[in-house]
Amino acid sequence: MGGDLDSFNQLVLRWERPIYALAYRVIGREEDARDVAQETFLRAFRALKGFKGQAKFSSWLYRITLNLCRDWIRRERRTPVVQAPEGVDVIELAGEDVPSETIEELVSRHEVGRAVAKAMAQLPEEKRTAIILKEYHGLTFQEIADLLDCPLSTVKTRLYQGLTVLRKQLRDAGVESTFGK
Amino acid sequence: MCESKELLVSFLYNEIDPADKRMFERHLATCSECRDELAELGDTRARIGLWTPPDADLGFRIVRESKPSSSARRWFQFSPAWGLAAAAVLLLAIGAAIANLDVRYGSDGLVVRTGWNHGADPATASAAANVTPVDWKTQTDQLDRRLRDLERTMSSHSQSPVQNASTADLTDDQVLQRVREIVGQSESRQQRAFAAHLTDLMREVDAQRRLDLATIDQGLTRLQNSSSMTKDLVQRLAVRTASYDSK
Repeated sequence: MGGDLDSFNQLVLRWERPIYALAYRVIGREEDARDVAQETFLRAFRALKGFKGQAKFSSWLYRITLNLCRDWIRRERRTPVVQAPEGVDVIELAGEDVPSETIEELVSRHEVGRAVAKAMAQLPEEKRTAIILKEYHGLTFQEIADLLDCPLSTVKTRLYQGLTVLRKQLRDAGVESTFGK
Repeated sequence: MCESKELLVSFLYNEIDPADKRMFERHLATCSECRDELAELGDTRARIGLWTPPDADLGFRIVRESKPSSSARRWFQFSPAWGLAAAAVLLLAIGAAIANLDVRYGSDGLVVRTGWNHGADPATASAAANVTPVDWKTQTDQLDRRLRDLERTMSSHSQSPVQNASTADLTDDQVLQRVREIVGQSESRQQRAFAAHLTDLMREVDAQRRLDLATIDQGLTRLQNSSSMTKDLVQRLAVRTASYDSK
């Protein structure tokens, strides 16, 4: 690219919304997600010479964004994520009838979206990130594994566990239909 | 195979080896538990697809800081502080000329007279001779300090590199070009926002469609089950009726 500013800004135009959407869904805060997205492009531009095309440009941007999100979460310590204690099986936790935070009854699509946002925020970070990358950005299992530096089987396990917990959370909130149960 | 959640997830996302897919489909035909779980996870996916981020005015752009002007132009560029300093000196000179300033150094020391009357009236002249000498050094120092303050103020309020182009340095054509660029950028932003809305709307419609399909599928399955139960009951009733008749 040779530092061509106009060309890079064309890429920014193409990717600003997906990068912002990724940051927003991981962090859950609009203004901070905007800052993370902006910082992503700044860092990408500065590191452009080091990008040899060994991966997709989008994957490279996603990696920068996820690293910034991770830094934000650690720095701000604002995430509402409930970290499962060590040794606790998340699936068992999902199956137990334990009192959980009440999610207000939902009747419209926007309320469903809000309920989903709240349920997602309660997922552990690694499961939430895997679901976001798969559901909203259409990455393959292998691409997610490469981004998160984990095995393929771990990606599938996180997706399964995350969806199972979400299913229970949404069902408790009265959002999801009680299929066959 | 029920324990292999990885296979279930691969099948759920249709990212599965064809041979594994055929094997899992055969398993699904005989395992209602896996069928139910697959349908529930599909339903969950449809619902979480309804979550979209709020609209945000993005419009990120990488810009370079404006480069310093060439040396040839530097000769003809004056910083505002210099301009102010020159204006201040000019004002002083004009003021001195208007005030008919008369500065003399003699046996009496430095004598400064102002005004137009000191040469006409001997009485006034003698009074003027007794005028208190003006402390030029102090006034010059004060003026210097004010100019330095003004310079500091101007440099601290200097515009960011992004908007560094003062229209005073641009020709009319360049200003017009700049305005066109700004308008064009605004239009692009609006178009992008509209496209984003459209994309969100399409995603919502698709998610709702998948949800509706899942609901219809569930309903049909329940109907099927109910119909099977009814059929069983009717058959049992028929058998019992037949047995009563035979008695």
